[in-house]
Amino acid sequence: MTSATLLRRITDYAARADPYPLYAELRRTPVARQEDGVYAVSTYWEIAGLLHDPRLSSDPRNRVPTAGEEDILEEEQGLPPSFLRLDPPEHDRLRRLATRPFGPPDSLRRVSDMRGDLARMVSGLIDGLRDREQADIVEDFAYPFPVMVICNLLGVPHEDEGRFHVWAEAIVAGLDPGEEGEGPAERLRAAQRARMELGRYLAGLIEDRRRAPGGDMLSALAAGHGDRERMSPLELVVTAVLLLIAGHETTVNLITNGMLTLLRHPDALRRLREEPGLAVPLVEELLRYEPPVQLLPQRTALADIDVGGVTIPRGAPVWLVLASGNRDPRRFPDPDRFDPGRTGNEHLGFGGGIHYCFGAPLARLEAQVALTELARRLVEPRLVEDPPPYRRNPVLRGPRHLPVAFDGCVP
Amino acid sequence: MDLNRCEAYAQCAFQAPDVFAMHGEEALMYEPCPGDERREQVMRAAASCPVQAILVEWPGGPAVPEEAGTGARG
Repeated sequence: MTSATLLRRITDYAARADPYPLYAELRRTPVARQEDGVYAVSTYWEIAGLLHDPRLSSDPRNRVPTAGEEDILEEEQGLPPSFLRLDPPEHDRLRRLATRPFGPPDSLRRVSDMRGDLARMVSGLIDGLRDREQADIVEDFAYPFPVMVICNLLGVPHEDEGRFHVWAEAIVAGLDPGEEGEGPAERLRAAQRARMELGRYLAGLIEDRRRAPGGDMLSALAAGHGDRERMSPLELVVTAVLLLIAGHETTVNLITNGMLTLLRHPDALRRLREEPGLAVPLVEELLRYEPPVQLLPQRTALADIDVGGVTIPRGAPVWLVLASGNRDPRRFPDPDRFDPGRTGNEHLGFGGGIHYCFGAPLARLEAQVALTELARRLVEPRLVEDPPPYRRNPVLRGPRHLPVAFDGCVP
Repeated sequence: MDLNRCEAYAQCAFQAPDVFAMHGEEALMYEPCPGDERREQVMRAAASCPVQAILVEWPGGPAVPEEAGTGARG
């Protein structure tokens, strides 16, 4: 096989359960031009360098659209891009405003103060498994938990989950580059419609919070900070859409990939049960070994960029294959081994540079609490099928279901 | 703290708010000798640093080899 078809083999559903051998093949050419003009970057240092390179844009408006995308990009008048898909200085301003009610310097303890609530949610969900012998870790645990967390944090009523779940799925499907021979047009259009509808729903909530503020992030974002710079109403809606989707569709895979990895490594599971403090480095290792965001497929070169002996031409789309960089033997000793005590773990699981995962501290905390409690409370857990069935999406990768059998739960 | 490595991701301030604080968006302030009661926070901060810029040594405890990275950045 030539490298021209390798990225297609990676995004093909057949590779979903184990894309890692294909990533190893991809790394033989650190910066590989694909037949459709995409440049795939697969080695650690090259990815890390590009994550910090201002010549690589995240703004889709800098893209030269590929066939079939032209109409959609032109039509994209619905909602403007969120800060995830903006460059400085707009990115910096919006991310800074979004950070005010979330993290330091203004909200130093927002995330660490959530620990108690998170532990109660996890206990409640595991209590629900007490009389069972089998559970689907996705449906019964890893999906509902982060949704509860993000709803609480933003101030979105949990009862509306059924409504926004459909929109969230459609939006995330828009990230899927699709199968060979299948145009991405319809999926992209559906994602845009869903984004618009979710935006309309959140605009209503933001209006409610403006009138009657609570302690949640939407209230804080709607109130702004006195006379200091603030988001426009439209920017606020776009940011709320981003935070809800990101909080909704990524942590589920971190927790599910984590449980799957623990069940495949019984020693690690036993160690975590005996020393809960292991959860901290273990979650970092998971982010290296099975990252929920496998690749960043939406960057564009703003100038000719020399990297890895190749010149990426101005205007070319660039894919940063984070999950491959995380397995690069030139950076990580014994990269295919899951080592929960690994030190110096400078993984790419949350990306890097100015777009480093906004919700990283929350995702870490959720995964630490969830995996520690699952390990402690489920008695003799074991996989019912290995590999489990996977979701279609190669970008946000994780199992669709994770059936696990066990002999009850300890309190 | 290896301030040459630090890129102001602020992950340490999230993990250990009693030890690390951001002043503005880029200046990091920290307590260089936090008490034993902060130990867990410090370990969380060190593990979560995206550029592994926090070196932890605890008197009486096992020194944690946070020899960050394996060579020069390319």
